[in-house]
Formats: sequence, structure tokens, C-alpha cells
Amino acid sequence: MIKKLPKRTVVIIGGGLTAGLISRQLTSQGVDVVVLERGGEHAQGAEAKLPTQRDEMRWDVRQGLVQRWNVQTYTLRHNRQDASSPIRWMEAFLPGEGVGGAANHWNGHTWRWSEYEPTLRTHYINRYGKNAIPKDVPLQDWGITYREMEPYHELFEKLFGISGKAGNINGKIQPGGNPFEAPRRGEYAQKPLITTQAGLQFTAAAQKMGYHPFPYPVANSSGTYTNPDGQKLGQCQYCGHCERFICEAQAKGTPDVLLYPMLKQRKGFELRTQSHVLGINYDRDARRVTGVRYLDLRSGQEYEQPADVVVLAAFTMSNAKLLLQDGIGKPYDPVTGQGVVGKNFCYQTNSGVNLFMKDSWMNPFLATGGTAMAIDDFNNDNFDHTGLDFLGGGGISASMYSGRPIKNRRLPPGTPQWGTAWKKASADWYAHSMGLSIQGSCYPNTENFLDLDPVYKDAYGQPLVRMTFDWRSNEEKMSAFVTKKMEDIARTMGADIVGPAAPRKSPFDTRIYQTTHITGGTIMGADPQTSVVSPRLQHWDAQNLFVVGASVFVHNAGYNPTGPLAAMALRLGDDLADYVKRPRELA
Amino acid sequence: MSQDSSDTHNRRNFLRKVITVAGAAPLSPQLMAGAGAATVAAVAADSAMAAGAQAATPILVGYESFSADEAAFVENMVNVMCPADQYTPNGVDCGLAIFIDRQLAGAYGQGAGRYLAGPWVPGKPQMGVQLPYTPEQFFRAGVAAANRQCQAQFGKTFDQLQPADADNFLKDIGHGKIKDDDIALASWFNELMYPLFEQACFADPLYGGNNDKVFWKMVGYPGLPATHTLDMIEFRGKPYPGAKDPKSIVDFS
Repeated sequence: MIKKLPKRTVVIIGGGLTAGLISRQLTSQGVDVVVLERGGEHAQGAEAKLPTQRDEMRWDVRQGLVQRWNVQTYTLRHNRQDASSPIRWMEAFLPGEGVGGAANHWNGHTWRWSEYEPTLRTHYINRYGKNAIPKDVPLQDWGITYREMEPYHELFEKLFGISGKAGNINGKIQPGGNPFEAPRRGEYAQKPLITTQAGLQFTAAAQKMGYHPFPYPVANSSGTYTNPDGQKLGQCQYCGHCERFICEAQAKGTPDVLLYPMLKQRKGFELRTQSHVLGINYDRDARRVTGVRYLDLRSGQEYEQPADVVVLAAFTMSNAKLLLQDGIGKPYDPVTGQGVVGKNFCYQTNSGVNLFMKDSWMNPFLATGGTAMAIDDFNNDNFDHTGLDFLGGGGISASMYSGRPIKNRRLPPGTPQWGTAWKKASADWYAHSMGLSIQGSCYPNTENFLDLDPVYKDAYGQPLVRMTFDWRSNEEKMSAFVTKKMEDIARTMGADIVGPAAPRKSPFDTRIYQTTHITGGTIMGADPQTSVVSPRLQHWDAQNLFVVGASVFVHNAGYNPTGPLAAMALRLGDDLADYVKRPRELA
Repeated sequence: MSQDSSDTHNRRNFLRKVITVAGAAPLSPQLMAGAGAATVAAVAADSAMAAGAQAATPILVGYESFSADEAAFVENMVNVMCPADQYTPNGVDCGLAIFIDRQLAGAYGQGAGRYLAGPWVPGKPQMGVQLPYTPEQFFRAGVAAANRQCQAQFGKTFDQLQPADADNFLKDIGHGKIKDDDIALASWFNELMYPLFEQACFADPLYGGNNDKVFWKMVGYPGLPATHTLDMIEFRGKPYPGAKDPKSIVDFS
């Protein structure tokens, strides 16, 4: 029997980064908030303490911080003509579980996307003409501008102590920073991280080629730091256990260091862990939601939590799933192109190349999640696409995140898979190799979308989300072009051996980690016919339901999504503080 | 059944008894390390090792998951893939077999975190393994299938193969050249056995492999505690002294 609880003002589904940021804004203005998180706390666990934190097997190989696939996985088909298969153990992307969500095991890369990104459709048409965008690439403007987001980027970077070097202060290009970045009002909260040997050698080659190398902006704290809320970060120890790990030194900006401990002290804030949301109660006639249903995993009891406002702040996939399951908004139909929920599902088009230099000590274990030098010369639309038959691009970086030896051991091409020669190559090259990598844009395609799988169910008896996704021609062409640019840099670096630089190609492979930056499915926009939520993240078909996270992104750029999604979450927090006083369609 | 494999069975039965007894009394590491590896191949490898790296006391002893046949298969496999040489002792002495056994006996082998609901339909390789098996069950079925194919090709089970034949047999499996009617052997080797082998070599010795941090020493991975803020500049582009003497979770436990 479902138990009905007393009504609350705001209920947030998912206890990750966006929920923490929204709650910060709301509780500071005295608004009552309940956050429902399916997982537990991490802060006192083996994942957050030495020596157990430094365990590549447990946290990386066996995915100790990741969504349990036996409880909830996804199905995939490359084309809608195919049957789907459930991904029984996913490697390609890694949603988090527990307080902090995927922001526990992130690497900390925090970008402001280029100024033109939220208006990308207009930008491309203005620059390349009205036929610039292929018919099967449904790019559209997001309905916001960078200028509107800028104060919230600024706030987030201060809250999370972002380390970096400004490249564009109020339109004035700064030496050593990224000349392509959106204009900032000042320097980053902290100075950049220490550059690795790999970063130094990449920088020298990139400069020689006339490119513009700069350090990644990151939430790995370059010094000790106290944020505007009085919350503290330790100094990064460059331990090489960052992505896929919780930082035991509290030196990585994460919600369970900087937000939740503070929120728990605030009046009107409640965090319920082990609470798996099963659905959103939707009153179709009134075009309102009335609350959520969730299972308390500790007791097996199902609850209804009524609320004035519901915020859907789960991982990209779950945001789409809950809307599809409860029939909130019209599902996307790839045949007619009508409908919106599930459309514009995007990933990121990544590739890499390994370099082997016998006279350089790369020491890959002297690293952190953010120690990268990069160039944006070939990212997104930072270069002229006239005469090229694709749109988009990728950032190229010397990104040495770790020397964890199971998965971060580079071997020259042609090395046997085992035996003495394999050991010799491991011994010879482990400390003398590095990688370059590309994080590339992924634009929407009419044939890439999410819906509910008709066959496979999760542990709660609910349908799995079905991905229909593959690398389509725009992304394949982009990857071929930018990967060649990366290979040219690799060859300029004077390596003894340069490994194969293979561009990303169909078919999409779930067995290989690529990135957790999946976007879309519940996209934002100014037109209810082509978007799920308004530019204020308010659902077009349920005024008191708001959706936040990378699921609202219309397309994916060659940047990590965290900067914009965090900025949007902070703005939504302010909007909601206003909305609860005077509910209405926000303009 | 051939004379060879009947002898092997007798030998295994003997060793099983030794292992059972050893539960009550400590056994020398040398004997334990060789347990179940009573093949010509292993003996040859052991003598080669005498000139190279020395085996250290293993952290874990005694198999939880493996049958005697499976132990013999895995021991020959890890000794072929990791022969005793100037870099490391043989695979068994490095703890690679016991690592694989413990992984299969534990949560991973029992399918923890793996979606195991039907219906079951063969899928494209990019969807990952689509079998109604836990990893331990897949392991078992694969060993039986590999031995079946080994019998067909050589007239004996895999544990009886000389290193050169065993090496080629594993390569042929990995390259999909050896087919079994029931089990996709290339997938079994490349997606189950090979990752376990690599993990056995390079995981923290806590899990029974990488005995004495031998693989970490081999490549120069310093392990824990990895507080490198000052090292970032002091040892940037230079040899890192700690790489010679790595520390593991076991050293801090």
C-alpha cells in the first residue's frame, strides 16, 4: 500500500550536482526542499578513505561508484530497423549512484561553452548560409544567450574553486589562456594546475605549429581554497585517482564536499537517500504535476510525496525515462519528425593517439583529472568550415589523467598481447608514453533518439530506456578531419613511435569507455513544438515541473557539459525561489 | 580417455588431497605455487625462472572456484601468457591463477552488477556479451569448449600442451580461428579471460595477483600513497625514485 506523505514545496528527483546547486539557491531564500536520491552516502565509505580509495580494480574496473546495471541498464540499437539488445555491462558511459551522482567520479573539467553555442543554428546560417545545416541535423537555438548565463558561470566557478587561466577578459585576449573562450569578467577562482611533462611537450609543438595551447579549466583544486559559502577544498595531490574515484583529499570540487554538508545544516533542506523515484504524478487536464512516487529501499515501502513544484534533476537518461513513462509531453516520432521527448539524443565524438618517446620521462602517475594542456583551434566552429562537408569539431589535448596500470598502460602498435615481449614493451614504455585525445562535438540526428524499450524491464519492473544511436555521417567526417590534425601535432612532437590515430566510426560500441557526456532527450527551446522545456527549463505541458541537466542540451559541443548545466541549475534555483511565491509561466 | 589425461587426473586427485590437508597446516609456498600445475610445461618454465625473478610468498592460497581441470587449464594459460623470465616469475607464482579464481568465486564471477534478465537473443558484438551466464559460468563453459577443441586438434587437453603449442592455441582462439559449436571462444577469451589476465598482473596485490608487486616494479608504477604535489615539478621529465619500490594497499593494512 502506497503511503501518502505531507506536501512539500519543492521536491527534486536525483541528489547530484544540479540538485545541490538548486537547493543552495532555494534554501538561501528560505524555500523548503526535499531531495530524493536513489543511492547512499559516500563521504565515510571505503571509496573516500585511504588506502582503499586507491584501488583501480574496485572503483574503476568494477565500477564501484556507478549505476548498478543489474538494477537499471539501457538497451541499444544502431538503427530503428534493428532489434535492441540490453547492455548487460556498460563501459561506454558511467552514470553515478549515491549522493553527488556522477559529479563524484568526474574529472573536474569545467568549461564555459563558446559564446555562439546557445544560438548555434542562427550562427551557422549567418556564417555559412541557409543551406549550411543538413536536413537530418535538427540543430536549433536554445532560447538563451551566453550573456544571460555568464553571472551563473561566474558563481559556479567561485563555488567550485575552478583552477584555470583566462583567455578572454571582457573581449581582451589574454596570453596563455584560451583565445576562443567566451568573454569572462576576470581570472579564474584559482591559478591553473601544474603542467605535466606531456603537457609541456604538447605545448611546445602546438606553439610551433601556430596553435594556441592553454591549461584546462578544472575543479581539481590547485591550492587550498575557501569558497563564498565558507566551504573548503584541499590542495590537489596529483595522485592519479580522480575520474572514477572520490577524492579522499577533498581537493576536487564535488557536491558532497561543497554543497550537501552545508545544505544539511540549513533549515528547510531534507535529503532522503535510498529513495528510488518510480514516477511523477501528472494531472493531464490541469497540466500540472502533483508530486512523485518513490520506493524507500531500506523498508521496501512505496511513498507518494506531494509537492507544489517537482524538479527532474536525474541523469540524462532518467530524465527522459520518467517523462516518457508518465506520458508528460509528446514522445518523439522519427518517422514524422513530430513530438519532442527523446529527441536530439547526443553523445561525444572522441578519438586518441598514443606517443612513445624513449628519452622523455612522462611519469603518467604524476597526474590528476585536470592536468591537460589543450588547443581549441579545431573545436566546434572555431575554424572556418567553408568547403568542408561537416559541421562541428573537437578540442585536442595532452590529457594525462593517471598512470593506473591496468587500464592506462600504453603499448606500441604491433606489441604481442602477452609473453616476454609484451612485458618488455610494458616495462620499456610505461613511463615513456603519453596520449593525445579529442573531445569532439556530436550534433543531433533525426535517427538518434531515446524511447522506452518494448521488451526489457529494470529491477522495479519498469521499461528500460532504449537508445537508437550510431555515429552518423556528420560526426564521422568531423572526427576524420580533427583526428588528422591531432596526428599532425603528434608527428611534430618528435616521438619515436606514433600509434594509430583512428577517427571515430560507426558502429557505436558500448564495450569501450568514451565519455559520460550524453545529452538531450528533454531539450530546451523557445518553441513548444520542438522542445520539452522552455528556456526557463519549465515543462511546456506541466507548468510546475522543471527539468535540468545535460538532458536539456539541444546539441553536444566538444566540451564537457558541466559548466553550462551547473550555470543553468543555479539560474533555475533563483527562478524557482521566485516561482513558488507566484506560480506562472516564466518568461 | 587417453593415458595422458588419466594420469593427469590421478595427479590432480593427489594434489587436491594435499590442498585439503594444507587447510590445517601451513604448506611451503613453493609447493602451493606449483599445486595443480604439474605439467611438463610448468616444470620447464620453473627451471627457466631459476635464472630470473624469484617468487615471493603468495597472499592467497587454495582455489575457491576452480575444479581440478579448470585449475590445470588456467595454470597452463597464465604460465604461457606470463612465462618466467627476467621480468617476473611464472604466472602461477605471480598469483595470476589465484587472482582469476577469486574473481570468479566472488561478486564479479557471480554476476554482481550485471543485467541478467531475459529474453536472450544474440546481439551485435558492440552490445557486449549476451549470454544467460554469470562470468563464472561462462568461464566454465569456455574451458570445457577450449579443451574440447584442444582434444580435437592435439589429442590432449590444454594443460598438457607444451608452451609453444599452448601459446599458438590461445592466439588462434583470440583471433577466432578456433570455433566451437556451442561457445563463442573468441569472445570468451577476449572479453572474459584476457581482461582477467591483465587485471591479475596489474591490480593491487590485495586481490592475490601481482604477487610482491612484481608487475608494478616491472613498469615502475609507484602505487600508494601517491601524494605527488611536490613531485609534479621535482620529477617532471625525470626518473621517479619511488617507482622502484612501489607500495600497495596491503602495505598500508
